[in-house]
Amino acid sequence: MGGLINVSPTGLLVENTLFVIAVVVYLLATVGYVINLFGKKEWGGFAANTLRVAFLIHTAFILTRTVNVMRVPFVGHFEFGNMFIWSTVLVYAWTEWRLKDKYHAVGAFLMPVVMLYISYITLFPKISRAHNPLPPVLQSNWLKFHVSASVLGYAGFSLAFAAALMWVLKYVMENKKDAVKGSPFLKTLTQALPQPRVLEEYMYRASVFGFLFQTVMIITGAIWADQSWGRYWGWDPKEMWSLITWFVFAVYLHARFTRGWTGKKTVALVLVGWVAMMFTWMGVAWLLSGIHSFG
Amino acid sequence: MAQETPGLPEQQSTQASPIKQILNFLSSMQLGIILLLLLAVISVFATTQEMNTAISSIYTSWWFVGIMAFTALNLLLCTIERIGPLTRQAFQPKREMTADGIKKMQINRVIKVKSPGDEPLASVQQIFKSNGLQTTVQETSEGITLFGERGKFGYFGSIVTHLSLLLILLGAMYGALTGYETRNGGMSGDNFFVTQGNWRADIGEVRMVFEKDPTVRPRVYSDVTITRNGKVIKEGTVSINDPLRFEGTSIYHSTFLWISQVNITDPATGTVEELKFFEGDRYFLQDKGVQFESLAFFPDFTMAAGGRPTSKSYNPNRPVLAYRITINGQQEPWDLLELNEPATLETPNGPVEITLTGFENAAVYSIAKNLGRPILFIGAVLMVIGLYMSFFLFPRRFWATFDAKTSSLVVGGRGYRNRLGVEQIMERIESEIRNREGE
Ligand code: HEM
Repeated sequence: MGGLINVSPTGLLVENTLFVIAVVVYLLATVGYVINLFGKKEWGGFAANTLRVAFLIHTAFILTRTVNVMRVPFVGHFEFGNMFIWSTVLVYAWTEWRLKDKYHAVGAFLMPVVMLYISYITLFPKISRAHNPLPPVLQSNWLKFHVSASVLGYAGFSLAFAAALMWVLKYVMENKKDAVKGSPFLKTLTQALPQPRVLEEYMYRASVFGFLFQTVMIITGAIWADQSWGRYWGWDPKEMWSLITWFVFAVYLHARFTRGWTGKKTVALVLVGWVAMMFTWMGVAWLLSGIHSFG
Repeated sequence: MAQETPGLPEQQSTQASPIKQILNFLSSMQLGIILLLLLAVISVFATTQEMNTAISSIYTSWWFVGIMAFTALNLLLCTIERIGPLTRQAFQPKREMTADGIKKMQINRVIKVKSPGDEPLASVQQIFKSNGLQTTVQETSEGITLFGERGKFGYFGSIVTHLSLLLILLGAMYGALTGYETRNGGMSGDNFFVTQGNWRADIGEVRMVFEKDPTVRPRVYSDVTITRNGKVIKEGTVSINDPLRFEGTSIYHSTFLWISQVNITDPATGTVEELKFFEGDRYFLQDKGVQFESLAFFPDFTMAAGGRPTSKSYNPNRPVLAYRITINGQQEPWDLLELNEPATLETPNGPVEITLTGFENAAVYSIAKNLGRPILFIGAVLMVIGLYMSFFLFPRRFWATFDAKTSSLVVGGRGYRNRLGVEQIMERIESEIRNREGE
């Protein structure tokens, strides 16, 4: 069964229009960050401001969606994906504001990742944008805590992933000094990338942020499952994959802090952690079966 | 043990005994990392298996539980071992430092002072304080050291986090050992007995409350009375997300089922059998040699495209039962029975009349006793606190002294895990000092 909510044509129009505009402006910001990366410094501020505008439009979209579905828009791939993208941009814009303009280069890596998320929720054919009512099992305050924590956790890990990508690029360029010298293009690119040490710190802080919220997500999920299903842990694939992601980041934090690991090894752990996170979000739903099929 | 870890002095100077070496291995971080990765890899594999298979053959296997227990042991030993050194590190900082000592720190500044007053450190102390540091001044024969620190409790973040994880593991084990899980249920007037808990449940009213949108699965409320040896121990209503709790036991609403009331009448004798069918139930009419099978109940029946029966909503606007009969082992095509519209079946031994006379709901419960819950809850709260302490109360320490020979202030800083943070504070301190000294 599972019927749909009747949304007024105006509501639908506003929702769809805002979404399309938000995506276009996000794309513009992405382009701005990338141009900034190649030595055109004046594009950094433009990209940052464009991103803020896109964020506001996206916020308006989420509010419209909330009104249209008459509940928190936290359910299903499309809504969850939007919250996740929104929180990633929020956390990034916040760091950008806190750290002043030193890190515009991060935007050139984070925003393509965000565009990837957007492409997934808009282009992947199995993802429905339908306005579904909330089934009773999801009608719980724990849903709000659980989803809020998870999108913040995913946001932190996305930022860490962007920094890891930059680290890899920087590393490759440093090992190809000759090629870089010969090309002014690569030279400006190398200069635009922060020092590996700074990138590692960025990656660490973002991972810590993500880890904290991932922990809260698992805990609130367990409390909620205990209330609805009578058990706090069901070994469901979605639960297991969020635990696997958590394990990988725990190993990263320990290796870095206690074993003094740096560089390649820690970056590799963050990359693996991000892949595990993406699989928790995308892969589990399509490739594995379980009770979390709604999320 | 990792060399970064401050161990006990005697441990480092002499060859450790084999027992010590084993303990060192068991409490080591390397082992911790290996165990965590192992758990991750096994979990990855397990999720590719069918869920119930994975639960019965992996997650509850002796070796998986063994790895978890081993991880707990590793964590426990590692945590115990670190309490002493960390306490010393947190509460017994070296407060006096020479100018040379400070210059050896990774983060340090030497700031020339043009006209030092009598107390060149007094203004620095103000600056330390305005950066949130708790300061002390130590006087030794070698000179005066200003010491400032903040975030002492950050040293204990990892201890709190690890203990919380242990509590969670212990709580889970305790809960699993002392508790049980089962399923049961029924319709209004039914009862069932749970042997593991030695109590009986009587189901009172079972009622369905529709959502505003009748296509959304409705909520089912059921009144339950729990008794032991005839004495009532708990009474209440169970609904989704709102279980009935007593003695560490919870009764959760898991799902609901439709039950069809069907009358089977023999026109020859006039006898009426009143029966109740769950979906899938079968009933053999002995004297007629036919089997009646209830297939599915549709509260709001409609025929979907392709001739597939379905329900438009959960509202019982048009209740219909799909059924099938089998005569002498030969299955007939399925057919539909509408409410109060009798159908006549021709059987080898004469006709029978069947009527759908009504329908009701049965509630299905998950029943679980879990005494570990409070422990788990405390563990979860502690874990969040521990992570917060680990990552947001970062300990920082600063030292400053005045080097009269070069007429300069020497300032150094150390952090426990956040060098960049210390660096940033150092930058602030430096610029404030330079402002005051009028450079
Ligand atoms: C499996 C066995 C584990 C072992 C042997 C272990 C061991 C350690 C050690 C030795 C430290 C350094 C402590 C210090 O000097 O403050 C540490 C830090 C820490 N551990 Fe663990 N740990 C384990 C698992 C975990 C897990 C699963 C978590 C997840 C919550 C965790 C959370 C932390 C945190 C948050 C820190 C502080 C890290 C930092 O500052 O970057 N540990 N651990």
